[in-house]
Formats: sequence, structure tokens, C-alpha cells
Amino acid sequence: MENDNKAHEEPEQEWPYLDVHRHLRYWKMCIRAPLPHVYLSNESNRLALAYFIVNSVTLLTPPPSERTPETPEPLISREDKRAMRKWVLHHQHPTGGFCGTSSLVFPLHSYDIYNFDTKTLDEPDHAGLANITSTLFALQLLALLADEEDEAAGENVFEGVNRVGTLRFLKSLQREDGSFGEALSDLPGHGRFIAGGYDMRYCYIATAIRWILRGDVKEGSPGWVEDFDTEALARYILNSQTYDRGFAGNSQDEAHAGYAYCAIAALTLLDRPLTTSTSSSVPHKSPLLHSSIRDLPGLIHWLASRPFVYLEPPPPSADQDPDTYIYQEDDLDDPNFLLPPTPSDLLCLLSQIAEKKGHDKTHVAFNGRTNKVADTCYFWWVGGALANLGRLDSLVDREAARRFLLEKMQHRIGGFGKSPGSPPDLYHSFFGLAILGLLGDEREGGKVRGFDAGLAVPRETVGVIERARRKLIESEKGGKGVVDGEKELDAVEMGLELRGGGERPKWLGACGY
Amino acid sequence: MPSKGKAATKPKATETPATTTSNPTTTNTTSQTASQPSEPTTVLERSQQRFEKTRPFEAARRQQGLSRLSKEDQKGWICDQLLHLTNRLPAASRSCLLGPKASKEIWWTVNGTNSIVRGLKHKPEPYTTWGTDRNGHDVGSYTIERFDERFRQRIALTALQVSSRVFRENVEREKRGFVDARSGREIIVTEREIDEEKVRRSKMAALKKDLYGAITGKLAESVEWEDVVPIPHEEPEGALAAITYPAEYAEAMSYLRAVMTTKEYSPRCLRLTEHIIAMNPAHYTVWLYRAANIFALGISIPDEIEWLNEVALANLKNYQIWHHRHLLVEHYYPTISSDPDALAQFAKQERDFLIAILSEDTKNYHVWSYRSWLVGKLGMWEDEEELKSIEKMIDEDVRNNSAWSHRFVLVFSNPKYATPGKAATEKDEKVPQELVDREVKYAQNKVYLAPQNQSPWNYMRGVLVKGGQPLASVQGFVEEFVNKLGEGEEEEEVKSTHALDLLAEIYAEKKENEKADLCLRRLAEKWDKIRGGYWEWRRKCLTQSEREKAPGEQVEKAEEGIAAA
Repeated sequence: MENDNKAHEEPEQEWPYLDVHRHLRYWKMCIRAPLPHVYLSNESNRLALAYFIVNSVTLLTPPPSERTPETPEPLISREDKRAMRKWVLHHQHPTGGFCGTSSLVFPLHSYDIYNFDTKTLDEPDHAGLANITSTLFALQLLALLADEEDEAAGENVFEGVNRVGTLRFLKSLQREDGSFGEALSDLPGHGRFIAGGYDMRYCYIATAIRWILRGDVKEGSPGWVEDFDTEALARYILNSQTYDRGFAGNSQDEAHAGYAYCAIAALTLLDRPLTTSTSSSVPHKSPLLHSSIRDLPGLIHWLASRPFVYLEPPPPSADQDPDTYIYQEDDLDDPNFLLPPTPSDLLCLLSQIAEKKGHDKTHVAFNGRTNKVADTCYFWWVGGALANLGRLDSLVDREAARRFLLEKMQHRIGGFGKSPGSPPDLYHSFFGLAILGLLGDEREGGKVRGFDAGLAVPRETVGVIERARRKLIESEKGGKGVVDGEKELDAVEMGLELRGGGERPKWLGACGY
Repeated sequence: MPSKGKAATKPKATETPATTTSNPTTTNTTSQTASQPSEPTTVLERSQQRFEKTRPFEAARRQQGLSRLSKEDQKGWICDQLLHLTNRLPAASRSCLLGPKASKEIWWTVNGTNSIVRGLKHKPEPYTTWGTDRNGHDVGSYTIERFDERFRQRIALTALQVSSRVFRENVEREKRGFVDARSGREIIVTEREIDEEKVRRSKMAALKKDLYGAITGKLAESVEWEDVVPIPHEEPEGALAAITYPAEYAEAMSYLRAVMTTKEYSPRCLRLTEHIIAMNPAHYTVWLYRAANIFALGISIPDEIEWLNEVALANLKNYQIWHHRHLLVEHYYPTISSDPDALAQFAKQERDFLIAILSEDTKNYHVWSYRSWLVGKLGMWEDEEELKSIEKMIDEDVRNNSAWSHRFVLVFSNPKYATPGKAATEKDEKVPQELVDREVKYAQNKVYLAPQNQSPWNYMRGVLVKGGQPLASVQGFVEEFVNKLGEGEEEEEVKSTHALDLLAEIYAEKKENEKADLCLRRLAEKWDKIRGGYWEWRRKCLTQSEREKAPGEQVEKAEEGIAAA
């Protein structure tokens, strides 16, 4: 055992090591205790936080086939998973889609338009408080919370999802220009209105929900829903390339790595086969991506421009340290983007640092926009975009990127911070693991699951989604209706039996049983 | 009650009484100090002293144990117990417990020991007797004065609660149209009564907080929200990502739920959204609900914008604020669109604020995004001030890519000459040549300031593409930054990797592939090693005509691109 530990320590210098247990400890804390007050700004979108937590735990937990007797018990037990899935389903709006927080899930009967006879709302397309972002997170969560010990149980994770209603809700969020909003809202004087900015994130999310739920149901068969206008969406996305060849929320905004990822992943997902029989591990053709983007080499240029050599901020007494002679006064305001004025200066500085350290291993950080600072999440947004383009391996110096993430962004207590030295938070801690899942790390101990760059879940979870989707569509074809309703009916029958038979009370009929 | 005279003689006759007072004999030393205690400092002390005074036998037993008491004291203790036991019973059933003879015996003894018949039943204990205050401290540890004050507060609270109850009932009666039985008039709750009730409730809340630490939500205590039944949040099992938040927030949300389900639009709802936004400005639902209220009530948009300015400055990184502003402007625009002066005035106000907020956070994505939208919405293309303010920002920080990006939109999306529907990366024949020249020159001047700054390089390249000019038209300028390439490590000088990058494109454009390859090779080998993989890929692209092939993937070019649509 001791030898083993030594073996770990040695290559740590060579190959930065991910301390899985420390990260699990951080996530355990996030599961067991309420999140601190600083997360209040996410109160309207708690499903997003839940997604970061469960996705990260899944990334750090080996799949059952790879577990050994020494592997610790999974952080989320099978029973916990069942309860959590129920909690996620609780966010579903009766007419489709999911709300972001249980605090906005109102008891149905509290609505003025609740109909006590039909037990639903008198407005089939009720605007409700469902939103597009939470809908994707809910579906991903359900799949992430599949019972992996039992493949058959994994099939049922979408049980209770209102597939048809959700797909209709999705379609209702598309604007005339092809883009998507986040929610429906009734604004007096403006009528039914698609709320949300012109934000590439919603476009990406729309394609992901479509891929997860739509399937290959033929027109006319049960469960068929009219698709949204995929061509209009693709046109909108393709028109959002900016003059400097990146992507933005629209072509009038500044190019941004987050939006570049969303644009590229959305185009990939629009081309990803919807048939349930296709295994997702086989890369699919994406003509939209490879022949429709106006300036694809330009886009790759823009993405390739995001990494930069990260230089340590100078120590407080900058004038004493020979390493930092090159920094200029105004650079000090921006300790995260300390590029010296000329390339020769940088080379000179790097060779000095290499001499001092005894090796020339650099730290490579990523920014999200031209001349911006390093941020953990841009490792993911840039890396994920390149992975969707099939170019992650050839264009990113994986070792230098890993080294920066693990040596500068990883926190002592586990998790990743936004920038070097900052405390960990759910968002950056998740994206740090996600990019490690994409970069791949086959070394023993520091391993995370392989990650799907398009759907942003571990690869095993993509398989769960495919099986669950097939099962959900089958159940719709069988015309069985909502499963929860059946359970309720079972409970009524059981109650009658316990009552000792006799005549069925009339009021039960009035209640619809 | 037995007469005192008889009782006094009997015990004396049997045995020597411990003392003529009620003190038990065996507790001499201890009870001496206890019986003549110093002035009590706390309520607990005072009551314990009272207990010891009124229940001397019980106090002695507690101190020494029953077996160590003298016979006499034991007898006294038994009588004391029986006395308190019977005292607890209803008068009629007291005789059931003991026969008349035994009762008589007890009273003899009691009188003999001068026991105080109505002594304290229980020995007062810390915490349990009076409970704790708002800070969790034992009320028993209070000084007498403080305790009396607390007692007065409780009386005051009770009185207020009674009055408040009366008020509420009157409100209810008024609602139902009840008639006052005495006067025969309809019950009317007057403004004065409402004002009094408001004062009363704030007093009650203050008292409750003072006494019990109970935080009565501002809303629950306010008369305004009287008719709303809040819907509390019930979290189902299996919840993830619960967030700790103050009780005030929970209360406000419970009222929000109530008014949202009934789609109420009213001034109080507007105030409620403000209250919640102050606690959580990122709640998109609350913002949407606020917008609905503003439109429904016809609130002045400039007023709302003025309020919003403060909120925006206090929450720089917030996204929802800008979406709200967007909605407000969409709503407001039709009312001023036909009045050029009003439009110009509004545009100026907006710009002034945007300049102010961007001076706090120069690269704020939401603000820039709103600004580029606003230029189109209000038609600020020809507005010289807009371009000037951007130039000023670039002068202040030549690396501010957000400002560069805005400049490109401002110059090249101007509908005066821009062809509608042209993409940003597409050539537009209608863009005037002098404009292209002007912008290229502008970018070049900025490159001189900081050659390794990518923003002006990107800008210049974007302008050339828009203007449909060959990249080679700037070859002379670009070559200024690269000297003696490939002529030896010592000789070679590269002032900007972006120049070398563009130079490679220029050579490739002119089919001078070897020269282009040299640029890319030197970038990969020396000048920009961290992008080595990228530069190698570019080198491969020089020889392969199909630059677009993803590794290991056969792309079918035949697929009809949607871009063509």
C-alpha cells in the first residue's frame, strides 16, 4: 500500500493528479448541508445547482463495472436517487416543462383557473413558471439519477415526464427569427410573450431537450408532436458569427466562448440522429457544423486564441523580484492576464522562470473573450466547443491545461475556484471536472468518467437517456396515460379492499375514480 | 381551620420542638445562611429563597436527604407533603384522601411548626420555570427590575393583541356589511383606526421581537396584506441544493406565490417585487412579474428606469436587470417613436447611464449587449456622441475588446449603407470605401500602441473582409512587425505574433505557400508555442485544399448547407 502511494506521488510532478476523494468530500458537503446564503441568487434555478452536484458526483464515481471491493460506497445511494428523482419530477408543470425551483411549484388548486372537475388547469397552454433551462436540467438530472446497479430501473427514469407537453412547451418558446426564449409570460398589453434575452444558451438547450425527448416517432402515431423549426434555428445560430469569427448571442454582440460552445453544440445536436437505435458513442456526421458555418477556419482560429500562458502575479514587492522586471504598472491591475508587451519579452521571461524552476513546463489558462482573464469554466466552454468540432486533441496542449487547472484552480478543500486562489463554488467545480472528463485521464486514482461534449453528461448517462426515451415513447404508444394517475388509482382500490368490500361509494366516481 | 391556640400546645407536649420558628433542627448551619440570605439579585434567587422560607422541611430534605432529618423534622416534612397534596385537590374530595382524624393530626402538626400553608409548590429551577428569552438566556437569571420590565411588556403585548383582535373583527364585520347593534349604523373602519392599527402592529412586532425573538414578517404585520393568505413553501423529500435564506425572504416569497396565482397587479405587488429584488436581484420570475405590474398599472417608464439605474449600479453582474430594461424600452418606444426630440433625449439619457455603469465595469457583457441592441432600437447609428464615447473607452484601454466589438457594429451595421441580412463575416459591397479606409487606419494606429494586443488586429481583419479587400492590401503594415524571418535565431525579430499570423494568411492568399509555411512554422517552433497544435494544423491546411476535414471524419460536402438559405 505504501509503495502504491509513493508511485502516486512520483508522477504527480509529471502529470498533475486529481484527488478524487477530496473532490468527493467537497460534493458531499454540498449534498448534506444547505448551501450558504451566497447561493441565494440561484434560488430561482435550484435545479441547475442540483445538476452541478449530481453530475459531478457521477463523474467522480466509477460505473458499477469498474468498481472493486476497495471502491467506497457511492455518495448517493439507490434510495437517495429514488427520492431525488421524485423531487425533480415535482418541478414539472402540469402542461409541460419544469420550473427551476420548488418554491415556484404551486399547488394546482391554488390557481384561479384550476378546474376541480377535470383536476387540471382550464388553460391547456398555461404559461406557468416552467422555463427552458430548468427543463433541460430536470431531464439530465433524472437520467443522472438512474439506478446504475439495475439497468432495467434506468429505463424508467423518465416515468412521469410529460413528453408531449414538454415538447409542445419547447416549440412555444421559439421566436420568429428562429431563436429561443426562456419562458412564457403574460404581459398586460403585450399578450403572451416569450421572455428571455437573445441568448445562445437557450438555443443550445432547445436542441438538447429535443434530442433527449423527441425520438423517431412518426407523424400520426401516438406521441407525435410537431417539431420546432430546426432550419430557422440553424439559420439564426449560423448568423451569429461575429466579425472576429467567434460566436455571440447574436452577431451584434461580442464573441464569447460560452456562446461559441452553445452555438457549436446546438448545431451538432441538430444533426445528431434522433433514432433510439443509434449508439451515441459513434461520432455522427454533422453537415451543419462542417459545411454550414460561414467561416469555420476562422472559428477554429478564434477558439485556438483562447488559451494563453498564465504568469504568476508578481509578489507584493515586485521591484525586488528579478522575474517580474518586465511587468508594467498598469498590468498589475489585471494579475490574471499578465502578457508582456512583446513576444520576445514573454520568451525571455519564460526562460528565466524555467531556469529558476528547473523545467520549462508552462501553465496554460483559457479566457472567454479576447483580452479577458483566466476562468475555470472557459476550459470547458472552449474545450467542449473544440471537442464538438472533433479538434480538442489536436489543438489543445492537454498537459499544460491540466497542470494549470489542478495546480492553480483546484482548491485545498476540494472543488475548483473561478480564478487562481479563489474559493470553490458549484459552478466552477463542476466545469473543472467536466473538462477533465473530456481531456481524459487514464491514470489510476485520478480518474473521472468520460464526458459527452454535446449533452454535457457522462457517456453512460447518454445511454440511460436513450433507453429511457425509448421506454417513455413505448408507454405513450400503449396509451397508458400518466403513470402517477395509475398509482393513485391503485391506492384507491387498495383502500376499498381494506374497507372490507361492499358497495363502491358514489363520491369516488365524482372524483373521477 | 383549626384554631391556632390548640395547635400551638400539642406538639410542644410531645417533644421538644426544634425551634419556635419553623426551621428544622438539623439544618442549623445551612438553613441559617439560607434563612437570612442577602438581598436576592435575580428572580431565580428570589423565588428559591421564597421556596426555602415557605417549605423549610422540603428544603431541608432536598439538602440532606430524608433519612438524615430528625424525627421531628421528618414528621414536619410528611405533613408538609400531605398538605400540598391535599391543597391540590378540590375541596370536596380532600376528605377522601385522609379520614377526619388523620386530617386533624396533620393540622395540629402544621400549626405547631408554623408551616406556611400556601408555600411555593415547586422549587424554581433555572430555564424550566420562566423559560428563555430571545437570546436563549434563562429569564430566571434576570434582575428583579429587568424581570418586572419584562412582565410589563408582556402585559402591554396582551393588551395590544386584544385591541388588534377587535380591529380585525371590525374589518371582517365591515366587509360583511354588519350593522352595529347599539347605534344601528353600518360598521365602518375609519382611516384613523387603520392608522392606529398600523402603529399597534409595529409595537406588537417590536414587543414580540424583544420578548421572544420572534420575527414577525413585515408583510404579515402590515394591514395592506391582511386579505392575502400566503402560500408557504413546502419542500418535498429528496431535495437537493437547499439554500439557507432569511425568514424575511421566505415570507416575501410566500406572499408572491399567493398574488401570482391570482394574477394580481397592484401597487402593493410592485412594492413586493421591490422588496424581493432587494434581497435577491437574480430572480427572473420576480422581474417578469414586476414588468407585468408596471404595464398593467401604467407606471411611468422613465420613473421605473430611474429606479432601475440604482439597482443596476448596485448589482453589476446581474443579467435580469438588463432584460427588464429591454422590456421597458420595448414598451416605451412606441410612445416616443414619432417625436424625434423625445427620442434623442431618451437616447442621450440611456447613453449617459451606460457610460456611467461601464466606467464601473468596462467589459460587462450584459451592458454591452443591451447597448448594441439599443443602438438599433433607437436608431443611434448617426449619433456622433456614440462613436465618440466608444473612442474614449478605447483610448482609456486599448485592450477593451467589448468596445472594439461595439465599434464594429456601430460602423458596419448602419442601415444607411449596410445591406440587410448580411452576416458579420460577409463582404458587403455597399459599405463605402472611405469608411473601410478610415477604420483600417484607426485600427493600425491602435496596433502601434500595443502590437501584441489582438483586438485591433481582429478588427482590421474584420474590416478588410467586410470591405471585400484582399488581406494583402495591408501587407506593408503587417511586415513592419516582422523582421528577418527565418534568417537565424539572433536576427529574427517578431513584434507581434498576430502580425505573423496575418502575414501567413496574406502569403497564402497570394499563393506564396512556402513563405506562409515559414510564418506558421516559426509560430509553432518559437513565437507562440502554446498554440503549436493549431499552427501545425494551419500548415497542413496550406497543402490540403480541403481545410475543413475534421480528423477521422468524412464530411459530405454535398449536404446542402443551411447557410445558403
